[in-house]
Amino acid sequence: MSTERLFSFKNHWFAASIGVTGALVVLSLIGGFVVLPYATTTASFAGIWDAICSAAGVPRATAPSDVAKPDFTTSNVVINSQMFGAQDARSVGRGATLAMQCAICHGSNRQGQIDTPNLEGQPAAAIYKQLRDFKAGSRTNAVMAPFAVRLSEQDMLDLAAYYAYLPRQPGAHPALALDAPVIVARGAPMRSVAACSSCHGTTDAKLGTPWLDGQSAVYIKAQLQAFATGERRNDISEQMRNIARQMTALEIDAAARYYAGRP
Amino acid sequence: MTSASDHDHDEGAIVAARVEGRWTILSACVVGLLIGMAIFAGIHKATMPQARVELANPQTLHISGEFIESNLGSAVEADGSVTVRALGQQFSFTPQCILVPTGTAVTFRATSADVVHGFLITRTNINAMLVPGYVSVLPAKFDKPGEHPMPCQEFCGIGHEGMWAKVKVIDKTAFFKMAADNNRRLTCVE
Amino acid sequence: MLNSKRLVLAHFWLAFVVFGLALLLGEWQMFVRSPLNPWISNSDLYYRSVTAHGSAMGYVFPTLIAMGFGYAITEFALKKALIGRRWAWAGLALVAVGAITAMIPVSLGLASVLYTFYPPMIANPFFYIGVVLVVLGSWIWVALMAINLTAWKRENPGKPVPLAMFANVAGAYLWGWTAVGAAIEILLLIMPVALGLKTTIDAGLSRVFFSWTLHAIVYFWLMPTYIAYYTIFPRAIGGRLYSDAMARIAFILFVVVAMPIGVHHLFADPQVGAGFKFIQSVFTAVVALPTLMTIFTICASAELAGRLRGGKGPFGWVAALPWQNPMMLAVTFSFLMLGFGGAGGLINMSYQLDASIHNTQWITGHFHLIFGGAIVIMYFAIAYDLWPHLTGRALNSARLIKAQLWLWFVGMIVTTFPWHYVGILGMPRRMASYDYANSAIAPQALSVSLSVFGGLLLVISGGLFFAVLIRGHLAARTDPGTYQFSVAVHEPVRVPVALNGFALWVTLMIVLTAINYGYPIAQLLALKGNAVPAIYMGATR
Repeated sequence: MSTERLFSFKNHWFAASIGVTGALVVLSLIGGFVVLPYATTTASFAGIWDAICSAAGVPRATAPSDVAKPDFTTSNVVINSQMFGAQDARSVGRGATLAMQCAICHGSNRQGQIDTPNLEGQPAAAIYKQLRDFKAGSRTNAVMAPFAVRLSEQDMLDLAAYYAYLPRQPGAHPALALDAPVIVARGAPMRSVAACSSCHGTTDAKLGTPWLDGQSAVYIKAQLQAFATGERRNDISEQMRNIARQMTALEIDAAARYYAGRP
Repeated sequence: MTSASDHDHDEGAIVAARVEGRWTILSACVVGLLIGMAIFAGIHKATMPQARVELANPQTLHISGEFIESNLGSAVEADGSVTVRALGQQFSFTPQCILVPTGTAVTFRATSADVVHGFLITRTNINAMLVPGYVSVLPAKFDKPGEHPMPCQEFCGIGHEGMWAKVKVIDKTAFFKMAADNNRRLTCVE
Repeated sequence: MLNSKRLVLAHFWLAFVVFGLALLLGEWQMFVRSPLNPWISNSDLYYRSVTAHGSAMGYVFPTLIAMGFGYAITEFALKKALIGRRWAWAGLALVAVGAITAMIPVSLGLASVLYTFYPPMIANPFFYIGVVLVVLGSWIWVALMAINLTAWKRENPGKPVPLAMFANVAGAYLWGWTAVGAAIEILLLIMPVALGLKTTIDAGLSRVFFSWTLHAIVYFWLMPTYIAYYTIFPRAIGGRLYSDAMARIAFILFVVVAMPIGVHHLFADPQVGAGFKFIQSVFTAVVALPTLMTIFTICASAELAGRLRGGKGPFGWVAALPWQNPMMLAVTFSFLMLGFGGAGGLINMSYQLDASIHNTQWITGHFHLIFGGAIVIMYFAIAYDLWPHLTGRALNSARLIKAQLWLWFVGMIVTTFPWHYVGILGMPRRMASYDYANSAIAPQALSVSLSVFGGLLLVISGGLFFAVLIRGHLAARTDPGTYQFSVAVHEPVRVPVALNGFALWVTLMIVLTAINYGYPIAQLLALKGNAVPAIYMGATR
């Protein structure tokens, strides 16, 4: 019958384990928070307290440095999933009214001009962002600019809601349904090109990306070329320019034709 | 109250305990050696974890601050070192081709615009995670000119396998000449 | 005498069925991303498979083995019926329901977040609910282990807890505390976002909570294996366990030190301070100690058996060992894989060396070698050892068993060694396909193809395993006798109270967790504005 007490320094096991653990903790604290930060010459600390806090992970502000500013307007739109949640019927209705001026070029039932994009069924985030960019001038187009400049923030949200509410129209040439070309199905990873469907796809479509299925081939090709030359640069942090720059002319053609033929 | 066999038993137990004890001390020495090596490597300027935690807001990276698109790329600092700023996003790095000089202290500063990405320059030990909300800082030095693929090494979504950038190391003189001729951030993007 | 045969059998069968399905998925993945397959047309399928394979192999399979084995040990070692058998069945049901609940969204492509589910990628809420149910089921097991041990100790005051039960409960306590990290991450951080109640999440804090679970879970997986090393292997080969006390100390070290070292999975992360990375690196080095001790004790126990069989001289005992005995083969293979995998682990835990291979295929090779290899081969051995006692029938398939074990060992080496190599070449993880035509990737092609072949051997071995188990159900009835654990050379009559219970060790485990994790978590929690937008996976428009 054991009468040993466990939690007592008379118990050798207790004493030894507390002692060893304690020593390890203290030594590694000193090593990690004092010795090693001081040995790191790539970072300069303002004294020991700064070194200890940095090693602990207290966020430190970076020393401000020169920021090279762009010589053109970049997109300043912030979109997140909260902004485009459930559709509000009144918003859609207001959007429908506003959209009457859009129908001239972006007509319904594929009667719009072929070099203007089909807007029906496009995600609200995509429409909204492009309108904001047109208004701010980060995306330049002589025809769109005057329209966009007159739109208020709420107008843009309403238009986005309206077009998102519409069902997507079938492609103009559904008979030309093609197998996905290599560049669409697999991309060209070593050239920094992900498969188009990873952002423009049915699952996991990236927020703010437009649908390409059934879009005008002329339009897709023109936009890809514009991204490739840098003429269009409202893609946040160059994400489309990175892609289009590395696509060959044949690949751009193939992608445009493929998506135009999709339902 | 011990019999002869109990006595042997105890003797055997003592021997066994001594052997075990010696082995444990040997093991502890091995472990201690490993820890010592880590400390030695840390002190003698082998690569170390980043010294500070820095925050970033992924939603506004493109609007203001050091990660706007015109500020991404390689910048020469006053002390002659080079700072490379990069961004990881679904599914590419910007700049997609990073230009660095040989024989110069380079500091990579990178973050993510959306999900967790990885940052790995193959054939080097430059390897970090890009966690949205935090800035990753890595010091580096390249010895020889060449090209290194730079894949994202953490699953970031369905397009993860398409996320490969490139690092191009060029001769120091050529690099600094380019920097002098050009007041933009340097990249090797064509 | 085993009262809970059906309970244990149910756990094992569910575990192995899940394992078999996940094994097939794993080989498909190896094939699909190799040069042997032209290209996968839908990479989403690949990521669904990786999620399913990882979650099944990591969260469901080893948990069920630990639970089933734990119930068996409770009855065999304490020589009484399991207290709370109804609760045990409830726990099993929770695990089964949880596994299915999680797998449904995964197979539909709504939860392609991988078993590590790093936010801000957010999956369908049922995936997380499923994982939580699995953990809850396992916590019922943890409670039952504690209850059964406490009841026995009350009935047997002062007597040494049988080693198998001691180690079993050590594993239970370790798991109980370890699971808390991921549970907090899922319940408090992820679920509100998955359910749409919040739309932002702190990605860095989530990774820190997950790392709390991520390392020690592998020790939870490892416990049944080490229990088998100490309490089954010496008896199976006709020897004795070299030291009971050292065994207890090894398991105690696991309880204390396996837990608060998870930040070594975050060495490359920007949200944890360098000081905490260092402390956890030091304690990671310390957790190598119980494994080094185990290697010694088990080899010494084997030497005893060899000498008892007439082996002479410094190495003659090796030849004298019962090499025809499947348990001998299993433990030898396990130790060989443990040696290589452990060495790889030592590399991973050193910040400087880890920088070269972090998140490359080296990592995947490493954990397949150590978990899929060293640990799982012992799960097979445990099943073989227990099977006659569970089925009441003979297990006569000695040749099949040996073939199965050999194939698993060779297959695992052929699968994982090339994997380590391509990791050193810089091949990144978790990609559905690679452009082997590109000159930078071409050197990796042959090794990846070799791995596929190794995986095929593993699938065949898995098939043989099922064949053996099924034959075990159909063989002639036999009485396997009382189940025996190994006996130590010096069976303890009295054991110091510190080596007979867990109060001190669990306290130390919790205290070290507070020291190593407390500040990093608190400080990230205090950064209120650092949550980032959630990215919902599989969100269709």
